[in-house]
Amino acid sequence: MRPEIIQKLSEIVGKDNLYTELEDLYCYTYDASFVKADFKKDLAGVAVYPSNTEEVAQIIKLANQEMIPVVPRGAGTNVSGGTISVGDCIILVLKRMNKILEIDGKNLIAVVEPGVITGQLQSEVERIGLFYPPDPASQAFSTMGGNVAECAGGPRGVKYGVTRDYVIGLEAVLPTGEVINTGGRTIKNVTGYDMTKLFTGSEGTLCVITKIIVKLIPLPEAKSTMMAVFPEIVQACETVSEIIATGLVPCSLELLDNIYIRNIEEYAKVGLPTEAGAVLLIEVDGDSEILAKQIGKIEKICSRLGAVQIRVAKTKEEAEELWRARRSAFAAVSRLRPTIIGEDATVPRSSIPAAVNRIQEIAAKYNIIVAILGHAGDGNLHATILTDETDLEEMARVEKAIDEIFIATVELGGSLSGEHGIGRAKSKFITIQTGEVGLEVQRQIKQALDPNNILNPGVMFGA
Amino acid sequence: MDRSLESWQKEVIRCIRCGACQNVCPVFKELQAESTVARGRVKLIRGVISKDLDLTDGFIDKMSLCLMCKACVVNCPSGVKVDKLVEAARKEIAEKKGLSPFKNLIFRLVLKNRWVFNTGMRTGRIFQGLVFRKGPNGQGMLPRMSLGIDKRRLLSPLAQKPFKSMYPGVVKVSEATMRVAFFTGCMINYIYTDTGRAVINVLNQNGVEVIIPSLQNCCGTPVRINGDYETAKTMARANIDVFLKEKVDAVVVACGTCGLSLKEEYAELLKDDPNYVEKAKKLGSMVKDFTELVVSLEGFEGKMGRLPVKVTYHDPCHLVRGLKVKEQPRQIIRSIPGVIFEEMTKADTCCGSGGSFSLYHYELSTKINDYKVESVHQTGAEILATGCSACRMHIEDGLNRQGIPMQVMHTAQLLEMAYEAKGLTAEKLMKI
Repeated sequence: MRPEIIQKLSEIVGKDNLYTELEDLYCYTYDASFVKADFKKDLAGVAVYPSNTEEVAQIIKLANQEMIPVVPRGAGTNVSGGTISVGDCIILVLKRMNKILEIDGKNLIAVVEPGVITGQLQSEVERIGLFYPPDPASQAFSTMGGNVAECAGGPRGVKYGVTRDYVIGLEAVLPTGEVINTGGRTIKNVTGYDMTKLFTGSEGTLCVITKIIVKLIPLPEAKSTMMAVFPEIVQACETVSEIIATGLVPCSLELLDNIYIRNIEEYAKVGLPTEAGAVLLIEVDGDSEILAKQIGKIEKICSRLGAVQIRVAKTKEEAEELWRARRSAFAAVSRLRPTIIGEDATVPRSSIPAAVNRIQEIAAKYNIIVAILGHAGDGNLHATILTDETDLEEMARVEKAIDEIFIATVELGGSLSGEHGIGRAKSKFITIQTGEVGLEVQRQIKQALDPNNILNPGVMFGA
Repeated sequence: MDRSLESWQKEVIRCIRCGACQNVCPVFKELQAESTVARGRVKLIRGVISKDLDLTDGFIDKMSLCLMCKACVVNCPSGVKVDKLVEAARKEIAEKKGLSPFKNLIFRLVLKNRWVFNTGMRTGRIFQGLVFRKGPNGQGMLPRMSLGIDKRRLLSPLAQKPFKSMYPGVVKVSEATMRVAFFTGCMINYIYTDTGRAVINVLNQNGVEVIIPSLQNCCGTPVRINGDYETAKTMARANIDVFLKEKVDAVVVACGTCGLSLKEEYAELLKDDPNYVEKAKKLGSMVKDFTELVVSLEGFEGKMGRLPVKVTYHDPCHLVRGLKVKEQPRQIIRSIPGVIFEEMTKADTCCGSGGSFSLYHYELSTKINDYKVESVHQTGAEILATGCSACRMHIEDGLNRQGIPMQVMHTAQLLEMAYEAKGLTAEKLMKI
């Protein structure tokens, strides 16, 4: 990066909020994805931490003038390669813009800066009986800005939807440096195109989000948790379909396959039968009077479809114990192989049994371990590939298997990505879902807003 | 454990870069740069292993910016031992680049050699007035001149006499029910002799005979975590020899860091030493924190008088996440009649001391400390109890900087006060 650019950036954000040392920049060559940046080619030129919208706008203006790529970044927890450095670029980290500006209980909205940690917003609104439901696994450390840019989901998606369903207004800096306000503070708003929804999930390619207005809902009064064990995974999948078809909407419906069950049991000793084909962890929430009735109905469905063991938590502690199995899933399988790749192919709920089948076939074909832990309630299957990245021969097989899983997902009427985003990881597959026309329209939108292609180049559209 | 940095490859690749460590790393909370969080440190170490990076000053600096508080380790979904990786990197640095002259002197001459340390500390007591001035309100002392440590750092003065010279080798009780050896650690021996005294008094009153082996030396942690493994091993072997000679039921410690060192680190450090590995394990199996030992003693609650004070408790990193001692000190505090125990928020986050970290990164270390002081202050407690002398010194420093009058003491001292209160009349109690 040219010294005069660094000098100008330093004048904008202050010298304490700018990094140029090799060791600092090296740490922006990754995010939580499996995309590998080539350190010699992709090392950023500078990382800046602005503190307000005005500074962001000045940085973007400068970058646009000088045609320098900008990679916006929150906590860098995305799993699609959306925030890694791309050559002599500016890494624009929004973590210093971390204030909850407003929690408006009368209008049920909150206004936050992009660097606010999602979990922090959730605990603040819950203190006054309100609820912001999107719950990506990273909620304790990922930022609202990042969640909006990636349109993050989570287990509660089955009942409460995803980030997009809660964002009603944005302030953002466009790639030319102008500040735009979209949407607003009202639930109903049809003035012009829905730019808010377009920017949500735009993965940092269309704008830098600087302020977010989200709607809130009342916090459910209580929760009830149960676990059902099935001899065959297909029975568990049918149970999921049946629960949904009956009109019951649990707030989480998590599926663990046999590989997870065996490893969890070995690791955490939670009393799961290791020969079981699948476990469903089900949680319902709402007014306390209706919970027992709901759980009762779900219990009946589980038994009817072949559950051999059903545990309903009677106390908070027992519920906690059931969740412990789910939460230790990751640590449990990480003992098996050192490298873990989490995919997020998503299929229509009725196709879950077929999708599970296809994934297992692909795993067998390439002789790799693929475990399944899914948000089954919304068809979001997390195929987890357990491998060793130092084994190059195996890694080549893993890559082929992943490609095939993507294609199988789309064939089953699903989505390439449910909640992780396209980023750099899946950009070469995008047309199998959007088609050429679909991609071209998106490209034109990108071109219209970012004529110099400075914002997160390579993401979604490929290099 | 003479592992090369390369041999840590398998551990390094287990980091899936999820970023969960951002939520708990006290250094990252302040600095916010990706290179200052566990995930970044692991990536940098990986960079050195893969030869993307060299042992540059920048790398050395990043490796020094770790408190070794283990918060990331217990919070890591894949259980990456980040502290062990940082330690391995520091070892590599010490071996390839050498230690700084100051560290070299302290580690290899002073800490390793008990008599040099002892003489130095005794002489130091006389001369400390030349180098340090008294802190505000006559508490503690501040450096007068640059020692490579920050001039604002409030250090507690050296004790009049080292703890070990105040007691005989065996502190006997009539009809002893148990014999334990006391590993004092440096800070209790040279600075906080009041903690040592409390440990002995409380144990004695419970019929426990306490042996204080005079030949014990520093546990070696400051040396090991700064990468000087050879010196650390020598110190470990010496302590193992000294303590295994005693016929005791347990080895009691009153410092989480020393405790973890004796209990687990020695065995790991001497893994490849056939003469010592089993001995290290044996010593490890005998180690008990003071509070662990006390709660196992029958009737320890029966000897207490009333202490009408409000108390809060800070969990030292190596006690809570190292020795996994969390409930025992709370159980002791709650059992004291009259005491109102008020839990602070985030009682188990690091106080920012990190041993020598606070000397080299004072500014940062005080910022981390500010959160701790704030949560301590918010409880409205009059006494802060804790289980580590380094935490005690660092939090005292923080309270002093912010002008908050509060007593900081080891859990043993609080218990000693409760025992002393037993014989006191209400009138005398008023004077406390």
